[in-house]
Amino acid sequence: MTATIKAERVGVSGPRVRHGRRKARNLRPMATSLAFAAPALLVYAAFLVYPAIYSIRLSFTNWDGLSPIKKFVGWGNYTKLLHDPVVHTAVRNNLIWALVTVIVPIALGLGLAIAVNSRIYLRPLIRTIFYTPAVLPLVGVGTIWGWLFEPTGIVNALLSHIGLGSLQHAWLGDSTTAIWAITVPACWVRAGFPMLLYLAALQGIPNDYYESARIDGASRWQQFRYITLPSLKGAHAIVFALALIDTARVFDLVIAMTNGGPGNSTQVMGTWMYFNVFQSYNAGYGTAIAVVITIVAAVVGIPYVRSQAKEL
Amino acid sequence: MTAIIAAAPPDVSREDSSRQAMRGRRIRRRAFVGTIVMLVLALLWAMPLLALLLTGVKSVSDFDAHGALSVPQSFTLSNFRSAWGVGQFGTAFINSGLITAVKVPIGVLITSLLSYALAKMRLPFRRTITFALLMGLTIPIFIAIVPIFTMLRSVHLTDNLWGLLLPYLAFGIPFEVLVLASFFRRVPQEIIEAARIDGASELRVFFSVLLPLSLPAIVTVAILDAVATWNELVIALIILNSPSHRTVPLSLLNFQGQFSTNFSGLAAGILIALLPILLVYALLQKWIVSGLTAGALKD
Repeated sequence: MTATIKAERVGVSGPRVRHGRRKARNLRPMATSLAFAAPALLVYAAFLVYPAIYSIRLSFTNWDGLSPIKKFVGWGNYTKLLHDPVVHTAVRNNLIWALVTVIVPIALGLGLAIAVNSRIYLRPLIRTIFYTPAVLPLVGVGTIWGWLFEPTGIVNALLSHIGLGSLQHAWLGDSTTAIWAITVPACWVRAGFPMLLYLAALQGIPNDYYESARIDGASRWQQFRYITLPSLKGAHAIVFALALIDTARVFDLVIAMTNGGPGNSTQVMGTWMYFNVFQSYNAGYGTAIAVVITIVAAVVGIPYVRSQAKEL
Repeated sequence: MTAIIAAAPPDVSREDSSRQAMRGRRIRRRAFVGTIVMLVLALLWAMPLLALLLTGVKSVSDFDAHGALSVPQSFTLSNFRSAWGVGQFGTAFINSGLITAVKVPIGVLITSLLSYALAKMRLPFRRTITFALLMGLTIPIFIAIVPIFTMLRSVHLTDNLWGLLLPYLAFGIPFEVLVLASFFRRVPQEIIEAARIDGASELRVFFSVLLPLSLPAIVTVAILDAVATWNELVIALIILNSPSHRTVPLSLLNFQGQFSTNFSGLAAGILIALLPILLVYALLQKWIVSGLTAGALKD
């Protein structure tokens, strides 16, 4: 009797205990992993995720950024945005910016990578020089180029020196040329990163490919077209994605070189948002501008994020 | 007959080796010419910085008479002296140095812990968390700055250097996770398991096994993070106000306004402000260059 009871007890409670222990064994590592992840996740949630979501709410109010009163205005800020001439300028400038600062630095970077990868001496030194602008603070870069573009500055001096004095111009003072002039230092800064990536990709191509192509009588162009370019596919994808994502962030160079002027002609979405919030106290309207540029950046960036998330 | 046959091979090989020597010489000459061309291009590329240097060390009258690109008539440090005084770069260096020195170690530590959980542990909602973290790579900072400003104002951390700390940490996390988690993932699971079986706690595994193995990635991330922190403008611009709290980008922005008509002084000031980052880059460029490519080209 006691034996059966014992057996029953064992029979019943045995698995339960074991089950419970297994559960505990499964839960403990999970708790530990959460404890490891928690500090960074909390900071990320509190100072990036939460503010971003809160901004969306603010964009539907007429808040001035200071007073306790926030009136809900529905889509008011967004309809205002559609009719704001400065937003039209800013969108156009952001598009110009995207076009120039994606294509030119990548093309420059590819050309530099191929040149640096050819048989030359002092390769590390040369590579270092070309990457230098990328580590400088953008405000510093903007200040340097603002100084170069001065009416009496070096750009104009060089133009007159090489006999193109007729092209001399107040580059940043003229609303038709200012935004284009600001893209020049951007390209100077951004060519370095694609160069490094392409260089790494080029150095990963086995030399045998070229040798066997040469034996088969392939011309230099054919070698480039059928060996070099296809091997850079992975690098192309990353370089394009990062360059596109970065275009939404344009701010520092504009602030340092023109501060949005002359006459708001060089405003971009980021700077116009800043001016609205922190200079004319239209926090609600400013956040609406931020929401729009963020949605564009996120949509453009999602394929890249997905590809990276898969690898992690 | 045999003599001819025997004699033939050395002849051919001599011809071959001389041809090879000629080819070697041609390749070397081409490499030399290529190097010269690339050096000239690099010089042109560095021209904006060289122009700064040439202008900074010449007197105002020399600059007015001969322009920026002439060889200085005499070498002067007076521009640097006045720029140093007006720009208050000393204060800016201290501020940027302090925030960088505090932000980078904390940031690297908490992101390493998070990356370990993502890469080597059973973290619940792993996919969602990864995606949410990496989305942080794409969204511009503008979406968060208004609430960040009001949050910091409510705890009196605006116009305070330490107000920058938490937002800087938050915005540094996505890139650091991207590099560190993918690096940790490649550390062989057997090593981690072996340490666990030996009874090491997860913290012990993290500090004594994973971190030493990942030192190159950690150092690279720390350097890149330090450069980004040192150079940051947007958050500093909205949070900081008084001259004594300015970071390097802010002091440059302010300095530019004051020296806009004195080119030699302006050039000297920009050079002073850029000097620390240029020095760091010159010393650590190997880490920076290898880290950037390693972060992006993982396979």
